[in-house]
Amino acid sequence: MLKITNLKAEVDGKEILRGINLEVKPGEIHAIMGPNGSGKSTLASVLAGRDIFKVTGGKVEFKGKNLLNLIPEERSREGIFLAFQYPVEIPGVSITNFMRAAVDEHRKHKGLDPMNASQFLRYMKEKKALVELDAKLEGRAVNEGFSGGEKKKNEIFQMAMLEPDLAILDETDSGLDIDALKVVANGVNKLKTKENAAIVITHYQRLLDYIVPDIIHVLYNGRIVKTGGRELALELEKYGYDEIKKEADKRF
Amino acid sequence: MTQTNIKNKTFVDLYSGTEDFLLPHTVRKKSVNLFDKIKLPDNKTENWRKFKSEPIFEHHYSLGKKLNVDTKDLDSLSFFEPSGNYVILVNGFFYSGNVKKPDLNNNVFIGSLKDAQKTHPEIISDRLHVQNAKTENYFSVLNDAYAKDGAFVYVPENVILDEPIYIMHFIQSDNGNIFSQNRNLIIAGKNTAFKIIHTYHSLSSDFSFNNSITDIFADENAQLEYYLFEGEGNTAAHINHININSEKGSSFKSNIVTFCGSAVRNNFYAEFKNEHAAVDLQGIYMPDKEQTVDNFIEINHAKPNCRSNQVFKGIIDNKAVAVFTGKVFVARDAQKTDSAQSNQNLLLTDYARIHSRPQLEIYADDVICSHGSTTGQLDKEALFYMKTRGVPEKRAKTMLMKAFLRDVTDKINADRYREYVNFLISKRLKGQSPESLCAVKVCPSC
Repeated sequence: MLKITNLKAEVDGKEILRGINLEVKPGEIHAIMGPNGSGKSTLASVLAGRDIFKVTGGKVEFKGKNLLNLIPEERSREGIFLAFQYPVEIPGVSITNFMRAAVDEHRKHKGLDPMNASQFLRYMKEKKALVELDAKLEGRAVNEGFSGGEKKKNEIFQMAMLEPDLAILDETDSGLDIDALKVVANGVNKLKTKENAAIVITHYQRLLDYIVPDIIHVLYNGRIVKTGGRELALELEKYGYDEIKKEADKRF
Repeated sequence: MTQTNIKNKTFVDLYSGTEDFLLPHTVRKKSVNLFDKIKLPDNKTENWRKFKSEPIFEHHYSLGKKLNVDTKDLDSLSFFEPSGNYVILVNGFFYSGNVKKPDLNNNVFIGSLKDAQKTHPEIISDRLHVQNAKTENYFSVLNDAYAKDGAFVYVPENVILDEPIYIMHFIQSDNGNIFSQNRNLIIAGKNTAFKIIHTYHSLSSDFSFNNSITDIFADENAQLEYYLFEGEGNTAAHINHININSEKGSSFKSNIVTFCGSAVRNNFYAEFKNEHAAVDLQGIYMPDKEQTVDNFIEINHAKPNCRSNQVFKGIIDNKAVAVFTGKVFVARDAQKTDSAQSNQNLLLTDYARIHSRPQLEIYADDVICSHGSTTGQLDKEALFYMKTRGVPEKRAKTMLMKAFLRDVTDKINADRYREYVNFLISKRLKGQSPESLCAVKVCPSC
């Protein structure tokens, strides 16, 4: 589904991604772990199409298309979803109107007619239940005055609404208490099918107790320096990143 | 003779002959003399620095006549309810033909100010012209000297009206450019509560210049909502004076939508005549092309315990210019004054300009006065966020701009009118030009 080959990217002339290789197949959950500043969020942003990052080399293929040629809204409609580490507040735009526009555009892309108001509201209600999003939030402006937990739940709610092929969850666990974490993870698990895939970016292994990855990668200094199964996360939890860092520093 | 006086003369000439003017002879005599001397405001005139009056005078005007309006034009204004109470003015003259007479009880008067001078002389005489050096300027003096008619709304003590009262002005040309003046008087008697929807439209694409004054009296405990819509076309210049006199315990809530006009200047002057009164001014403006919208607001907290609030928001496109001046004067003994002011602007191009000037003059020591002004572009983070959900840039921008104006438009407490305003804003933000939207025949159902 997603094939990243030797991806390099920089911001303000500073190289952050130094040759990423990663392949995600349908049905898989990949976790990307790594110390602060390793390039995890940059990778997520580059995949979503944030223009402050300049891609200086490599290829990203998504469902056979050159992802890097698409603008962010096209990537979304093609099936990429980024759950933000810091969801943006949009005063004056209600969640309902925002999602209405997004779902409309996704349907248009698929050649489907827009849903009528009652269909849409029913659809929204169903998805809201999935992430236990408080009903009173829907009339409110997007993320405005939301708690950290509500913001993250709202990200997963949007993911549920848009049913992406590939979800990228950028530090979705940051700022969450354990109850909110469970709700969010539960939502992600319910949305998981054999056809879709997810990349879970996290600093801590805690989230991976709830969203169980098939493959774990360790990102350090802009490169994936180690890949393994679930046991890798436990190892990191126990020994930290120091060993891996030392090893990687020797190699590069 | 200076150049300005030639300009003055052009206007005076429009009124040659034996004319039936609105203001009493004694008052007019003074104004006529003053107008002869007064100079057109220019960039050296404090309070008018950024407003370019000169371009108004690039055209030759003739005085607008009493003309007919097609009732079809009224129908297309979807906020308008023909069953409601209204007064229509064409080129500043009361228009009575072919429209329903207001159905009035409780001695409410809605009609021509000129006519009302005969029927309500005692009510009108001491309110028609309140001399005030603070508000006097070239255009107000011109109106004082030569205005002939306008709307008069009188709601006597203790009357509460649920349905809005419409005051609708049309510029209509039979051939050529139009100069028109109107002088309106609104009296909200003691303990009254009602809404006014005051609109300006143009039915002509010729150049026009409209010079208006509206004097508003909110008597003791009156609750008045005043909605002003400025939608004359892109060939229209409009100088609009609104003077508000707030008596004890009164509340004046206003919302001003400046939608079209080549050059629009709003001069608001509100004075607290007694304690515990409130004035709330909200406004939006969306100039495009090379339009100018200049809101000049002066609030005189002459008495203690009064509250004023100003919220103005603008979206400025192309090479348009917007000016916002919010003056708040708090007199020495006006303790416990509560005054807030906010002006926010979005500039859509590198050429669009905003001059935002808060001016606070505070002589009392126990007051709360706040002001804030922001100018910027659309939030790039929000745009990116929306795009990552599949919303295309253009649609996302439209949504953000609507959202920007929403807290002001949401406060319009007259459903049909609010819908009309939101409809026009949506069209406009989707890229429809103001010229086509300011034509009267645009409405949700047309």
